[in-house]
Amino acid sequence: MNRLEVMLLELKDTSEFMVDLAYSSLLYNNKEIAEEVIFLSDTLDDLSTKIQDTAIELGQSKSDEVAKIAVVIRLQTSIMYIAEAAKSIADVVLRGLGEHPVLAMSIKESETTIALGKVSDDSVLVGKTFGDVSLSTISGMFVIAIKRDRTYIFGPGRGTVIQAGDVMIAKGPEEGVAYFKDLCDGTEKEL
Amino acid sequence: MNVRELLTEMKDTSEVIVDLAYASLMYNSDSMAEKVHDLEDDMDNLKFAIRYKVLMSCRTKEDARQLSGLLQVASAADRISDAAADIVDLLDVPLEKRPFVSAMLYESDEKIRATKIKSDSGMVGYTIGELAVEACTGCKIIALKGRQGWIYDPEDDVKIRAGDDIIVRGTEEGYNHLTEYASGKIPWDFPEESDEEPEEAEDEAENLEDDIGDDDE
Repeated sequence: MNRLEVMLLELKDTSEFMVDLAYSSLLYNNKEIAEEVIFLSDTLDDLSTKIQDTAIELGQSKSDEVAKIAVVIRLQTSIMYIAEAAKSIADVVLRGLGEHPVLAMSIKESETTIALGKVSDDSVLVGKTFGDVSLSTISGMFVIAIKRDRTYIFGPGRGTVIQAGDVMIAKGPEEGVAYFKDLCDGTEKEL
Repeated sequence: MNVRELLTEMKDTSEVIVDLAYASLMYNSDSMAEKVHDLEDDMDNLKFAIRYKVLMSCRTKEDARQLSGLLQVASAADRISDAAADIVDLLDVPLEKRPFVSAMLYESDEKIRATKIKSDSGMVGYTIGELAVEACTGCKIIALKGRQGWIYDPEDDVKIRAGDDIIVRGTEEGYNHLTEYASGKIPWDFPEESDEEPEEAEDEAENLEDDIGDDDE
């Protein structure tokens, strides 16, 4: 992939992550998570500008790339539209309008729900990395953020080590929730 | 549908429609793009239905304040579906002018992949719900091609048959597992019945929500 494609892909991946975070901020009526969505939206604004600048440069030097550039710009516009929508969901929470019980319920009952798991001292997950346990493959639950002490780790990677006391926010199907929670609280020992 | 059901439906649609939009670009599929446009039309109808219900239910100033937030969420979900529809319109650009798109999407964090169900796969004859495909593999089936043609965003009661093509969304690792199940290389691992009391689970959820809400002040 060239630089333009790498940037566009980052834009896309981040926009999807923002939507997940925005819905979870709503489920827990949590302003910190909502703030992260706003922060990511600002970084995407910068990235969008870079993509446009790079695309224009490319168009000036290689005229046969103009069709490709049009596609890049159209994709970038649509992706930013999704990011803006995520931002406006987070905005509801930040304005203090996220208390209506129907909001949380509608997310809990959706096909892809969001669940919290608190990692206990005797959980089999303690001390392991996400790469070691491949949680999403075994439980269907994909961890989008971890609350550790008073801070959040957004988008933990394969190398992130799980610690006792972590609160993991994961998205996935309803059927995966019980096993995920049991793994976290130490009831389930089998990975 | 009541307001809650409408909002749940809108949230679900806003997620699957984006997956389908990117998948249609990856596989250059016009019929998938058509499904995206259908879902976008559904979304418009849901948006009007929810506005109407919400306005009907407003009685006090506080209602109006709270419900304006709910309508903002509904409108955001609708805008996501509009963006998905714009994405599939890129199919009108001749394929040779967008060769990089599917290669780029192939590298996404959330992978979209296709595989075929072989006749000796342990999945054959079971429904998506019985297999709990997403819980067991981390991959969600977003499209399935069987004898009747394509089904997009298949429901839990859709049965997997030998020869079906499926398009899934998930992690690379999950996809690798799924292909082993789909090819029959390893038998399907049915999840054990959970004997957990639902009530207990509720309590637990409430405690945890306190955990995360604590430092909002």
